[in-house]
Amino acid sequence: MTTFLPTPEWLLLDWNHACIAADTLCIQRCGDCGQWRHPPRRLCPSCYSAQSSYQAVSGRGSVYSFVVSHRSRDLGWQEQVPYATLLVELEEGARVLAATSISPDRVSIGQQLNLRIAIRSDDFVLLWADDPS
Amino acid sequence: MIPADIWGSTAIVGVGETDYVRGSDRHICDLILDASVEAIADAGLSPSDVNGVIPPPGYMSTEEIAANLGIPDVAYHVSVPMGGASPTASLQSATMAIACGVADTVLVCMGWNGYSALRPKADKPPSRRQMNTGPMGETVRNAYAPYGLMSAAQHYSLYLRRYVEMYNVPEEAAAAVAMACRNHAHLNDKALMRGRPLTLEDYRESPYIAEPLRKFDCCVETDCATAVVVTSLERARDLAHPAVVYLGGAEGHPSPADEIASRDNILELGIHRAAPRAFERAGVTPHDIDVLEIYDCFTYVVLLQLEALGYAEPGGAADFVADGNIELGGKHPMNTHGGLLSQGHCWGLNHVVEATRQIRGAAGKAQVENAELALVTGYGDFGDGSVAILGVDR
Repeated sequence: MTTFLPTPEWLLLDWNHACIAADTLCIQRCGDCGQWRHPPRRLCPSCYSAQSSYQAVSGRGSVYSFVVSHRSRDLGWQEQVPYATLLVELEEGARVLAATSISPDRVSIGQQLNLRIAIRSDDFVLLWADDPS
Repeated sequence: MIPADIWGSTAIVGVGETDYVRGSDRHICDLILDASVEAIADAGLSPSDVNGVIPPPGYMSTEEIAANLGIPDVAYHVSVPMGGASPTASLQSATMAIACGVADTVLVCMGWNGYSALRPKADKPPSRRQMNTGPMGETVRNAYAPYGLMSAAQHYSLYLRRYVEMYNVPEEAAAAVAMACRNHAHLNDKALMRGRPLTLEDYRESPYIAEPLRKFDCCVETDCATAVVVTSLERARDLAHPAVVYLGGAEGHPSPADEIASRDNILELGIHRAAPRAFERAGVTPHDIDVLEIYDCFTYVVLLQLEALGYAEPGGAADFVADGNIELGGKHPMNTHGGLLSQGHCWGLNHVVEATRQIRGAAGKAQVENAELALVTGYGDFGDGSVAILGVDR
C-alpha cells in the first residue's frame, strides 16, 4: 500500500525542486538579513526583503515536538501505526517535519538527529530521520 | 472611525438548533435552513426583517440561503472562514455591520454533515458540498499529509505534545474537561451523548488517536445546524425574548496562521491575541464571567484557551478544571450544553446558542443561577481564535 503523494505548486514546488537539484536538504534563506525560513515565503518575515535563495543545510537538528499517530485515514500510513512524525528544529533555526523509522517510544523532545531527503517524485522530497541505533 | 461604543450596541435575539446526530436523513441545506427558520421565529421576526447574512464557511451560499428563506433584500453579507472560530467571530462582523448602519438584522448560521460526510449511507450518495478549508487545504495536502498527518487531532498534537511535556500537564486535567462536558450532556435533550456516562476509568482505558489525544479527548462528529439572529439593542428591546447583549468580542490569529511548525511560540494561539481585546471591549474581567462556553474540539485545546483567557498561568489550567470547578454548581461552570465533546460539533455556534439561553435564564436543567455574563470562545483551522462576551440587558 502506498502513502499519499502530493503535487505541490508555487513556492513549495520551488523548494522541492531546489532539494532535488542539489540532492540534499535545502532551506530558503533571506538574501539580506540571512535568516533561514521554512516553509518558503515571498517576503522575509524579519526584514521584509524579497531577496532569497535555497541553500544547502547540514541536516542536523533536534526534536522540537512530535506526534505519535495511532490511526490514520491514509491506508498506507494506517499499516504503520503507531508511527512518529517529528517536528525538527534545524541547527540553522528553521523547523521542518520529518518522517522516521525511529520507534515512537524512543523519540523524545530535544533528541539530536540528522535528516536526509528521500526523493519520492520529480516534484516531491520527503524529509527523513534514520534510526541511528 | 468606528466609535468604541459599538460594543454593547447589539444583541442576540433569536436562536435555533437541530438535533445533533450521527447520520441525519435531512440534506445539509435543510439542516442549515431548519436552524435558520427556528432562529428567526424565536426572535419573533420574519425573513423579511433580515437583511444581513453570514453563511457557514462552505456548504451553502448567502444567495441560496436568502433565496430559500425568502429574504427579499440582502444589504450585507460576509464570509468568515476561520474554521471553528468562524461563528463566534461572525458576531463581531454582524455587530460592525449593524452599528455602522449597513445592516439592521443579521442571520448567522452554521451547519454541516460532520458525521455523514465521511460515512455516507449505502443508499444515499454523500453531498458534494464541502467546507471552505481556508489556508488548511493547501498546507495539509502538500506539507502535513505526506508525513502521515491528515486529521485535526494529528495537526494539533504538533503543539499539544509539546504543551503536555513542557508543563507536565496531567491527563486528569484533560479527563476533567471531558467528564464535565459529559455530565452536562445528560441534562440536555439534544446532546448526542446524553445518558452515556463517562468515568475516569473509561477515559484512561480509551485508545490513543494521536498522542496525547485519546478517543475521549476528541469531540463527537455530528450532522447538525445552528443559527442566531443579531440586531440592534434598541430593536431587541421590542422583541420576544429579553435581549442578550453582545458586550464585546474579538478575533485573533497565530503568526503565521497558515501553518503550525514555524511559529516562534508554538503554544501561542489566536485566542491569546483575541482575549485581551475582547475583555477590554466588553469592559469586564475574566472573573466577572458567570458561564464559560469554551470551544472544545479537543480537551487539551480547552486547557490552553483557559490559560489564554487568564484563568490560569501557562501550563496551570489543571488546577482550574479540578475539583468540579467547571461543573454546574462549581465556581466556573463550563460547556453547560455538553460542548462539542458531548452535545455535538456545530463549530461552536452551539456554544453561542447555549450562552444565549443561559443569559435568558432559559437553559433548563443546566441553568447557572443568576447568570449575567457568559463568555464564548471559538477555535479553528490551525489555531485561529475568537471570543464573544454576552450579558443581560441593564
